[in-house]
Amino acid sequence: MVDGGSENVVAIDARPPRWTLAAENAMRFSLPVLLAFLAGAVLLLAIGENPVAIYQLMLSEGFGSERRIAATLSASTPLLFTAVATAVCFRSGVFNVGVDGAFVLGGLGAAVIGYALPVALGWTIAPLAIGSAMLIAAFWLWVPGVLLAKLEVDEVVSTLMLNFVALGISGFLVNSVFLSETSGNNTTETIHEVAELSRLLPPSTLHSGFLLGLLCVLGYAFWTQRTPQGFEAALVGFNNRFARSVGISVPGTIILVMIISGLVSGAGGAAHALGQVHKFSDGFSAGYGFTGMAIALLARNSAIGILLGAILFGALASAGTTVQLFSDIPLDIVNVIEGTVMIFAVVELGRLTLWRGTGQ
Amino acid sequence: MKRVIRCLLAGAALSITTLGVSAADVKPAALIIAQGGLGDGSWNDTANAGFQAGLTATGITGKAIESKDVVAQGEEIMRRAADGGFGLVASLEWIHGEPMEKLAADYPDVNWVIMNQTRKGDNVASVVFAEHQGSFLAGALAAQVTVDTSIKGINEQAVIGVIGGVKAPGIDKFIVGYIQGAKAINPDIEVKVAYSESFGDPAKGEQLAKAMFNEGADIVYQVAGGTGIGIIEAAKAEGKFAIGVDTDQDSMAPGNVLTSMVKRVDVATESIIRDYADGKFPGGKVLQFGLDVKGVALSDMNHTKDIIPETYLARVDALKADIISGKIEVWDVSASGYPDFFK
Repeated sequence: MVDGGSENVVAIDARPPRWTLAAENAMRFSLPVLLAFLAGAVLLLAIGENPVAIYQLMLSEGFGSERRIAATLSASTPLLFTAVATAVCFRSGVFNVGVDGAFVLGGLGAAVIGYALPVALGWTIAPLAIGSAMLIAAFWLWVPGVLLAKLEVDEVVSTLMLNFVALGISGFLVNSVFLSETSGNNTTETIHEVAELSRLLPPSTLHSGFLLGLLCVLGYAFWTQRTPQGFEAALVGFNNRFARSVGISVPGTIILVMIISGLVSGAGGAAHALGQVHKFSDGFSAGYGFTGMAIALLARNSAIGILLGAILFGALASAGTTVQLFSDIPLDIVNVIEGTVMIFAVVELGRLTLWRGTGQ
Repeated sequence: MKRVIRCLLAGAALSITTLGVSAADVKPAALIIAQGGLGDGSWNDTANAGFQAGLTATGITGKAIESKDVVAQGEEIMRRAADGGFGLVASLEWIHGEPMEKLAADYPDVNWVIMNQTRKGDNVASVVFAEHQGSFLAGALAAQVTVDTSIKGINEQAVIGVIGGVKAPGIDKFIVGYIQGAKAINPDIEVKVAYSESFGDPAKGEQLAKAMFNEGADIVYQVAGGTGIGIIEAAKAEGKFAIGVDTDQDSMAPGNVLTSMVKRVDVATESIIRDYADGKFPGGKVLQFGLDVKGVALSDMNHTKDIIPETYLARVDALKADIISGKIEVWDVSASGYPDFFK
């Protein structure tokens, strides 16, 4: 009895205090970002620009006024969804890289419903469109989920390839059956005005899809931190064999997280179609699924990290474009920063895993 | 240092432009690059070349800006440019037309330019290209070449073809012009028409083109974007001819691309910058860039001009002069709907 008790005490003591964990997480998030901005600074110096001045300009373009903040949040909106959709799989050890395809198909579905249903349905069109998009995308990711859970088909390969299939399908449909007759380009009709998601801070394009995205992040935080199912899903990622031995269904969990990922991706695509683009067109997703992956990695699947990461990448996208109006730096600099964040985020992850593996 | 040099250069440019409004009074211009970005060797690069040439010639400052998320962020980018003191905002992205119409009402003092569509607003200039005129010349050239068996790869049948991306007025504008041009040479010519139902499927383009070649066509005009790459490939593989579109595609398969119907978006951007600098921005107007201002043209045919007899080209030039003078009117599907000879 006494021994057992002391063991418990040891176990509790072995857990680092909360604040250390928080500090460690903060460092893991900010270090790759700082390194990336440093790399960007070197590049800026090399092309004869003053990095301090450029970064100042970027800061003011990203957050300098209400309008700029709104523009940044507007650019962050799709990333909230795709980052959550990715993280929910990653934390269960399911390397789902198919969020982009699910986002695109959800967006196409929502756009088509948004213009094809009769206007008389009024405000009900938007929830119908969002719901259908979620179902389409959930089905889309359920397929590789089942393939992995039942037949051990590698999910990286299947989801990666499914992105191309999704792009192909949507490209074909928007070029044929859903092509707007009045358009000189590959787009659908514009959705009904009643189906549009309302704008939060007009004239900015920031729309209520952002709130839906926040809701997804909150829901994700709750699910991971406060529900047994969320805990079990994390166990599957942490130690697959242990999870199985304590009676958690690994295949069931895999399919579940893939479906959740699909639902969130679909909601994101729908929000983007109904709130931002108001139609579906070629180039609907600017690789949001992949940026979402970078954010999930950077955030180490934490909800607060996802929120910060989405805002960071949103700011890079919006400010990175508009700084070109007021300086001579090309978009490539921003691409370098984004790419470097991703590399350092992954490198750090690899280093930690190695360290853990050899240390004990 | 770089900045100082740039200021000096701008100053030098200023002192050269003595006519009209001083460039210092003209607010800067912004050009928003479409999907595909700079370096596409096509639409964006061509437009930017004209934009930069316009800036250099007038001495006004301007920026070409790119975004990875140009579809969704268009409205924010354009609004930022208007808020940021730009006097002219032009977008090369088709999907920006709708938000631009709203922005133009919010910013009446800013001049707006959109391409390939017509948008309302006293401060909006809509740029369209007379693709039907250029296509007419392509058809006229093809109709002459298709019966000249002295040219390698040509059979005696008076059959040519055209492959469009989709059945839509924007595409049929090219096709109808092409047919009309071919019939102007030979009223009995057969023009085969097919649609690939896609702008990004080279394999389908290749398949359709090969089918047309098998049916006796020896020249196929591609109006199908990326799908057209397959059409040009098919011409190369079969030793026949394709006609390129939008940009000069002659060198994609030297000798097998008869000519290209080139849209000179650089002519359009440069001319608009010049008008803007002179205080004569064509707000509220639809600017038709046709053969007369070289807004559309046949390519220089660097790889094929030696195999095409002089007289054919002279005939094409004569038709061109007739179109410019108004003697020949080419049917414009986007303006007047479908003609009787093509439903």
